[in-house]
Amino acid sequence: MGQFDAVLSNAASRRMFLKGVGVMGASGVLAACRKNVDSTAAPAASIVPIDQEPGKLHVHEWAGYDTKWLFKDYLDAGYEEPKFSFLINTEGALAKTAAGFEWDITHPESGYIQDYLNMGAIQPWDTSLISNFPALNPVLQQTGQIDGKQYEIALDWGYSGVILRTDKLDPAANSYSYLFDDAGAGHISWFDTPWIIQQAGLVLGIEPNQTFDMTADELEQCKQYCIEKGKNLYNIWVNYADMWDDVQKGNVWAAYAWPDAYVALKDKVPVEYIRPKEGTLAWVEGLVLRAGTQNYRHGHAFADAWAAASVGERLIGTWGYGHSNLDVDLSKIDPDVVAVFGLDDPEASLSEPQSYLDRFQPQRNAYNRAWQEVKASL
Amino acid sequence: MAIEANVERAAPRKGRLRRGNAKVNLGLLSVPVLWLVVFFLIPVVLVGLYSVGVLTLISYDQYLSLQPWRDFLGSSIYLGSPLGRGLFWKSMKMSLGVSITCVFLAYPVAYMLALVAGRRKYTLLLIIIVPFLTSYLLRVLAWRVILNPQGVLQEGLRSAGLMNPDQTISWMYNSIFAVYLVLAYVWVPFVALPIFVSLESLDLHMLEASSDLGASRWTTFRRVTLPMSMPGVIAAFVFVFIPTIGEYVTPQIVGGKGGLMFGNVIQSSFAQSFDWQLGSAMSMFLIFVVAILLAIFGRYLNVRAVAE
Repeated sequence: MGQFDAVLSNAASRRMFLKGVGVMGASGVLAACRKNVDSTAAPAASIVPIDQEPGKLHVHEWAGYDTKWLFKDYLDAGYEEPKFSFLINTEGALAKTAAGFEWDITHPESGYIQDYLNMGAIQPWDTSLISNFPALNPVLQQTGQIDGKQYEIALDWGYSGVILRTDKLDPAANSYSYLFDDAGAGHISWFDTPWIIQQAGLVLGIEPNQTFDMTADELEQCKQYCIEKGKNLYNIWVNYADMWDDVQKGNVWAAYAWPDAYVALKDKVPVEYIRPKEGTLAWVEGLVLRAGTQNYRHGHAFADAWAAASVGERLIGTWGYGHSNLDVDLSKIDPDVVAVFGLDDPEASLSEPQSYLDRFQPQRNAYNRAWQEVKASL
Repeated sequence: MAIEANVERAAPRKGRLRRGNAKVNLGLLSVPVLWLVVFFLIPVVLVGLYSVGVLTLISYDQYLSLQPWRDFLGSSIYLGSPLGRGLFWKSMKMSLGVSITCVFLAYPVAYMLALVAGRRKYTLLLIIIVPFLTSYLLRVLAWRVILNPQGVLQEGLRSAGLMNPDQTISWMYNSIFAVYLVLAYVWVPFVALPIFVSLESLDLHMLEASSDLGASRWTTFRRVTLPMSMPGVIAAFVFVFIPTIGEYVTPQIVGGKGGLMFGNVIQSSFAQSFDWQLGSAMSMFLIFVVAILLAIFGRYLNVRAVAE
């Protein structure tokens, strides 16, 4: 401390010191400003034969999706095992991409494809290079198209429905209202997502497609409804395993849940998976290809492996998530799972009015801020 | 005369000696200062620039706009309407309560260590800081095992017949109480240290003199020990108050819906909502508040005395 005082009490050394700090600080700020770009567009790479590509794919994936059975055909064909990096959510992946993080393939929800495209980060697939593409659910592939180009190979999907303890609540209502009703007071669990506001909108009677692009008044109405009904919450879950645990223990009677919750709990406690009468919000995910990737053909081979029917059979049986391939052998899957999730007719199950698929939301910021205010009000 | 001449010869040539020392001091200070600039000052400036749209990252960030600040400051939920009832004030009250609780719990421990324990004080001090050797996250998660409805505590009460099998104590977990309890538990050892240092540096002759002058032990504590240890107490209070204002890990793990704090909204803005501009505005607001508080506390805090 005394030495610092000695420096600053000497006018000459004080000037030198402050000048040095200022130069360092300004350099840092200027260096950061230089990266203030709207587009991380990579230069277009020429497409070469596959044996001339580097070959080591970098796949930015969800944790657990690096398991080899998801791309078995790719490995069986003799290609080098990809390098994986992991994302926690697509927002984080977008931020890293905007900051220059390089990958060949990533796995976003269909609602974020436009964000990647706005950054210039992705290029359309050549579906003729994907042998399994004709077998994929066309309803899902439409979600991956922008301006007629296939930017995402939609591969896995699921519902954002409700898992219900049928020994605690009557499943007859078949509605998102379970997430808000006073009947479940103290035993309701929401996921940490603005989709809760959309589900409130469905309960309040807003047209399902409109819930993706509500007016400011509608958004405010749904927000206030969530704030009012927040008193009925047990918690807002972040880790799905914790939610499963709470449902199993009876702390939670109704929870926002994906299909894997039903697969995990159905043999342990009396539960039902609700696909609400208002229409189920459903998410679709798939693979997108980096613009300018050096591994163009390897990327297509990887996507083709993911699209195989055998992958779908195991994906459904393991996690309860749907797979896009319509040739999946349903006889290998638990009939109960097939019936509950409508896998015997996935095109109809994923079409309106049964389901409303995720899409780009131009007002995502407004929804996020509304959701933040809901949480802050609890 | 000879003495005066000797004094004149002995007097250091201050100007030349101080210039030499200043260069050495600058050299020694350069690494920590560089560290502060690179890992503190620049990031804070970047966050500030991001909050007003000078920097943008994604296509729907608003370039050169105060809208994120307007959205934050105008929200009745974060700062409250009327002022004082929003999430920020809830967090401030929580931090204040935790800090005061920690100081009250830690002071007797520090007093015992500094003035009573004698030769065993450093051994006992080591025992007190042993929890720091474990992961912060593990210590918080351990409280989940203790407090949750099927946890050690509530199952114990059921086993003892003090609760019905179907009964749960809802306020004990996923609640503001749980956040309060866990934060106090985590920070008490940390708070004890500066108070211990302050008490250990007391001039014990002052205590003897007080006793010799007829003061009781309570009077000696109240009028001599406590005032002289106050810099350490204030330092301890500040050391826990400032970081707990922005705390988000503990509320996320044990707080449930009711234990959400201001730090959680900032974390959520960056990590989940992808609303970096609002998160940046809230972060800068928190930094401004902390800076003001430090300036206020600094008037009462003799840092040099605590450091020495």
